[in-house]
Amino acid sequence: MVTEIRGGSESHNEASGVPALRLEDITKAFPGVRANDHITLEVGAGEILGLLGENGAGKSTLMNIVYGLQEPDSGSIFVRGEEVSIKTPHQAVAHGIGMVHQHFMLVPDMTVAENVALAPSLTPGLSRLSEVERELRELSKRFGLQVDPHATVGELPLGARQRVEIIKLLYRGAEILILDEPTAALTPEEWRELSLFLRSMADEGRSIIFITHKLDELFGLVDRCTVLRDGAVVGTVDIENTSKAALAKMMVGREVALRTERPIVEPGAPMLEVRDLTIEDGGRTLVSNVSFTVRAGEIFGVAGVGGNGQNELVDALVGLRPLTSGSLRIGGQDRSDLDPKKFTQAGGAVIPEDRHDEGLALDLTLLENLILKEVDSPAYSRRGLLNLRGAGDHAKTLLREYDIRAPGPSVAARTLSGGNQQKVILARELSRNPKLVIAFQPTRGLDIGAMEFVYRKLNEAKLAGAAVLLISFELDEILSLSDRFAVMAGGRFLATLSAEEADPERVGLLMGGEEQP
Amino acid sequence: MSDLTKSKIRQGVLDVALMLLVVVIALAIALVFIAIYGVSPGRAISAFLQGAFSGNFNLGSTLSKMVPLTLVALGWIVAFRGGRIQVGFPGQIITGGIFSSIVALKISLPIWLHLPLAVLAGMLGGGLCAWVAAWLWAKRGVNEILSTLLINLVMAQILDWWVQSPFHDPSTPLPQTRALPTSSLYPVLLTNTDLHWDIILLPVAVIVIAFVLARTVWGFKVRVCGANALVARHSGISPTRIGTQAMFWSGALAGLAGASLVLAGTTPAMGEVFEGGVGFNGIAVALLARNSPWGVIPAALLFAALAQGGQVMQATVNISSELVGIIQGLMIMLVLAATTMLYLTQRRRRKGPGERELVPPPELRGAELGATP
Repeated sequence: MVTEIRGGSESHNEASGVPALRLEDITKAFPGVRANDHITLEVGAGEILGLLGENGAGKSTLMNIVYGLQEPDSGSIFVRGEEVSIKTPHQAVAHGIGMVHQHFMLVPDMTVAENVALAPSLTPGLSRLSEVERELRELSKRFGLQVDPHATVGELPLGARQRVEIIKLLYRGAEILILDEPTAALTPEEWRELSLFLRSMADEGRSIIFITHKLDELFGLVDRCTVLRDGAVVGTVDIENTSKAALAKMMVGREVALRTERPIVEPGAPMLEVRDLTIEDGGRTLVSNVSFTVRAGEIFGVAGVGGNGQNELVDALVGLRPLTSGSLRIGGQDRSDLDPKKFTQAGGAVIPEDRHDEGLALDLTLLENLILKEVDSPAYSRRGLLNLRGAGDHAKTLLREYDIRAPGPSVAARTLSGGNQQKVILARELSRNPKLVIAFQPTRGLDIGAMEFVYRKLNEAKLAGAAVLLISFELDEILSLSDRFAVMAGGRFLATLSAEEADPERVGLLMGGEEQP
Repeated sequence: MSDLTKSKIRQGVLDVALMLLVVVIALAIALVFIAIYGVSPGRAISAFLQGAFSGNFNLGSTLSKMVPLTLVALGWIVAFRGGRIQVGFPGQIITGGIFSSIVALKISLPIWLHLPLAVLAGMLGGGLCAWVAAWLWAKRGVNEILSTLLINLVMAQILDWWVQSPFHDPSTPLPQTRALPTSSLYPVLLTNTDLHWDIILLPVAVIVIAFVLARTVWGFKVRVCGANALVARHSGISPTRIGTQAMFWSGALAGLAGASLVLAGTTPAMGEVFEGGVGFNGIAVALLARNSPWGVIPAALLFAALAQGGQVMQATVNISSELVGIIQGLMIMLVLAATTMLYLTQRRRRKGPGERELVPPPELRGAELGATP
């Protein structure tokens, strides 16, 4: 059946020259942000199209629309020249569209064949496992994909699991394949195999959309590349007529919008000193030999695309994850055996990346969330009993000072808007007059007003003599706030720059993992 | 009155109304069964009400049945607020009873020392039984639902052996211990009834648990761990340590219930079936009370009345007491359904201008029903 569909489409496409998939004028708005702004792009049969863009450029939203996970506000989708409406992933599959998600959707306890049989196929009903296995063997042979149908998925290395994901799509008859940042977890060798395999599939007439933010992956693989920025298409280029530098500039090269005045303070003593910090987990090196110093009265930025070791770095700096090697000093004292309590006692404050998962206990009240880290202090408890009056006064003061719009300190944190929730976290962390502030994506999902508030508070902390470490995926944010910043890619710091010497092209190349432009 | 107080009161009224509705629906369905059974609903209702509340004896029995139910429900609440779902109450009640019976039978002391010691032993037994599961969870990552469930089976077998072999009363073929000395028993509060002095545990335990959870630092930490373990870790609170402690005290409350069942029972001996389903019914009481310590009192009253009234109903109008089981089961299902529905509608209302709906698409996230508060 698989063969039939492919053969049919191939001849159809070659005859008419109609693109396999065409998106026209796709627009999708979320409250406060236009994720996709009149996007038009197409991919032909036998073509590999790169889709390049920073975090939040709208790549994932666009592909979720194609795959039927989200509905566009306007625009049309054409598959082989015919307009289609895709409301569910099932319909996408019926149109021959398959998607490999960044996070694999496999059942680890089942074998490869069982996982493939699980996927909704074009022929509903029971498929015989032996037949699935036979077909899998054929597919693996044809594409040179090494996949053992009897292997248990949980025991396979990541590269092999990805092959299973792809073969699942082939089994379902996909001829338009979307791969969402497929290389995040791959070793170089696995990546080489994957690229060869993708090429062989394209040679058979399938179309592939390859989503990435890594520049060097595009060269030698894709035919054309469409660049997205802020939800809109910046341009589509033939890969042969372009360079990494040109693509980097397209990806980030807007006029940097400085969103705030950056106060200049003479930096004081080093508050955070990190030397050769390395974090390994399950045989993979997530953070590799990172060294930097943040001084009092300074904002040090870490730029980079998400998933390049930032989460692990932050977890280690606040004591949630042990260092594999390297050392850590806070306020001049060795803190290599840090835990969150010691971090707080050393004057550390953290604004975590995900306020719902890590920042707030949503079902507890604002008052309770505000005293979380200081509940043992005499101001809020005495002999094991909470001092509700002290905590209440504290909460009321903070609600006023941080302009938190809430009916009162005894409402659940869940009832507040995202911006006000973030203010609660800022209030808890910054009101302790910290010596070191670690802010990880502090404006994620906030509107402009709340964003400016966060920037002001971080600058105030800096003026008050705190050392601020700002980790952000938004280059604008880094450039607006940081006195100096490093670019992180692949778990390493590639370069440390001052805000003045950063030009978008160079930073774009660094963020794409190009060491020295 | 501020808007905040008003909305809180509105929420409270809504909660109570919802639970009352659940009770009424469950009873209405039960009446349908009674009618099918061929008994006039009017007769059944009056038999039930008389059985549960009329006369010193019936009222005393109802109140005395409330005590262990309340204690177990409070135990569930302590563990649940700490994010732990332990269902080992039957096993912990049995362990508590065994510990109490040892102190009662093997030591002789004056009552002012003997009874408290037997009661404390019961608490210790229940706490230790829960601690085994807590330890497995904290150190080895064993799911506490599974381990407590399995420990229940083990404890039931141990009790069987206990009352047939080492502690068996040789003067009777029944599987039960020798009569416990009066100095180890709760004195009767109301003569010619089953109501013993352990009834004072009911208000005391509710007040203590409500106070501990709301006003102490330990209770605060328990609630933080239950609300968000990662936030707890960020705040220097160890969810494994606090969770282990919460499970110990949860078990201790079940052990206290076990001590009551043995030391304030209808017969002054520990039999093979003294647990009598209290362990799981206590969980249902906590669910009906929506995990509020104060709500436990009316919920336990209802379940105790159902049990007592059901027994009498069986004797007077010849309706199987299994019917009571049907009513209790219906209530549990309806409570869960109503709580989930309430949670969903509240979520939908709050969704409004959220920023979280951006990524990832809801289809890719797991079902969030597991997080029903």
